[in-house]
Amino acid sequence: MSPDELRARFDAELSAAGLNLAGRDYELLFAMWTEHRPQREALRAAVPMPDEEPDA
Amino acid sequence: MSADALCDLDLTGVADAIHAGKASSLEVTEAYLRRIERHDGVLKAYITVLADRALAQARVADDELRRGARRGPLHGVPLALKDLIAIAGVRMTAGSRVLAHHVPARDADVIERLHAAGAIILGKLSMHEFAFGRPVVDGTFPTGRNPWDVAREPAGSSSGSGVAVAAGLCAGALGSDTGGSIRGPAARCGIVGLKPTYGLVSRRGVVPLSWSLDHVGPMTRTVRDTAALLQAVAGRDPGDPSTRDARVGDYTAQLESGVSGIKLGLPRRFYLDSPGLHADVKSAALAAFDELRRQGATIEDVDAPTLDLAGAIWVTMLSEVYELHRETVRDQPLNFGEGIRTRIYMGALVTAADFQRGQRLRARLRREIMALFEDVDALVFPGHASPAQRFEDIPMGQIVVPGSRYTNVWNLLGLPAVVVPCGFSRDGLPVAIQIVGRPFDEATVLRIARAYERATDWHTKRPNPETWKLAK
Repeated sequence: MSPDELRARFDAELSAAGLNLAGRDYELLFAMWTEHRPQREALRAAVPMPDEEPDA
Repeated sequence: MSADALCDLDLTGVADAIHAGKASSLEVTEAYLRRIERHDGVLKAYITVLADRALAQARVADDELRRGARRGPLHGVPLALKDLIAIAGVRMTAGSRVLAHHVPARDADVIERLHAAGAIILGKLSMHEFAFGRPVVDGTFPTGRNPWDVAREPAGSSSGSGVAVAAGLCAGALGSDTGGSIRGPAARCGIVGLKPTYGLVSRRGVVPLSWSLDHVGPMTRTVRDTAALLQAVAGRDPGDPSTRDARVGDYTAQLESGVSGIKLGLPRRFYLDSPGLHADVKSAALAAFDELRRQGATIEDVDAPTLDLAGAIWVTMLSEVYELHRETVRDQPLNFGEGIRTRIYMGALVTAADFQRGQRLRARLRREIMALFEDVDALVFPGHASPAQRFEDIPMGQIVVPGSRYTNVWNLLGLPAVVVPCGFSRDGLPVAIQIVGRPFDEATVLRIARAYERATDWHTKRPNPETWKLAK
């Protein structure tokens, strides 16, 4: 994903979450979101079996 | 006994001195208050010191003892609390300007239990904002300074609890642990810290961070002290539904039973081979494991593949934190520190599907770890990735603290986990090992920790108060 695409993706997620940030908060969150992406991708790639339910 | 000598005792030593009449509770309380007055300007362990209240409680405790009424092992012993545990009528800030003027009307369950046990409460201890902020050296609620090197942080979020116990500013403390907030400061301050089984200690009256991960537990100088404090605060509380299945054990009966015949599992790949593990922590931990073998334990390598996904499953916390603070951060964002504000916003970007995926994988991780406990009595590994950092070396924008894998896994699973000192780095900073057990098997976890502790003298080391000065 190119830097512009990454930024557009982040903006779309912010909008979907109803967050309206600017300045340092925006940049800090973007850095944090970027850093966290590998974890999120790992989460989404780890597909449980259909019978793997969460604990009660 | 001099005031400083009293403050150098561990919790059991203080309790014994009071019980034997070698010192009154009032003398001990005054000794701690003087030490706080002398050193807390630098160490910043306390947000609120309850001097008058503590002295009054101490006089009552002494009167009771004179009448032959001893409430229990904590009678007259001065303790302190992370400032997210409610005392009726006492300001409780959670280290945040959001709660800067908040005064709870009712005691937390653990306070009721400590009062019943006869403990004296010296005050409320500093902490990372809402147990999730970043260390700060200035502002309204600065982070405590590590008594082994005041230029370094004590880890968090129960930073003041770690500092106060290590520096002898109280006989013991309670902290809270959502991803390592008891065990991190304990490891980096050279003390014992226990995150109990989820649901063993009530969180009623404790400012929440993440309901499925929050735990309250003891931080003390020795394993015996931790056992005594846990005994006082553990138990069912109708006000906290997570405690409905609590099984309270006897945490001191088997404490000296040793580890002969105990089978330990070492998650070598995930913990010892992790590139983030500091060489000094690793070598000290390996030496500690050798000591446990000498004491009669066997140690075998174990593994659980889903450990690698623990960081991904951590969306659980992000989501729960955001749900908790959503309205407040929207209405008064500038009352939150920058470090925590951004981290709270991260939770808004976790989708419902991601959260549910995290819960399914969390259940898988639990099954894998519980399968390990069919073959071993407990797991052992380094207590923390690295010794204490300098304040200026701590990065601002990280959502997950480096090295959190050593602690946060055990919050996800709710298992009892204790850190116990195992030496010092080449820079003279404390390092620790960690021991994790089956649900509600704190007795075994503490027994193993004690077997190691009694074979070593790390728990007798004290930081030097003469070094508690800030560079000009």
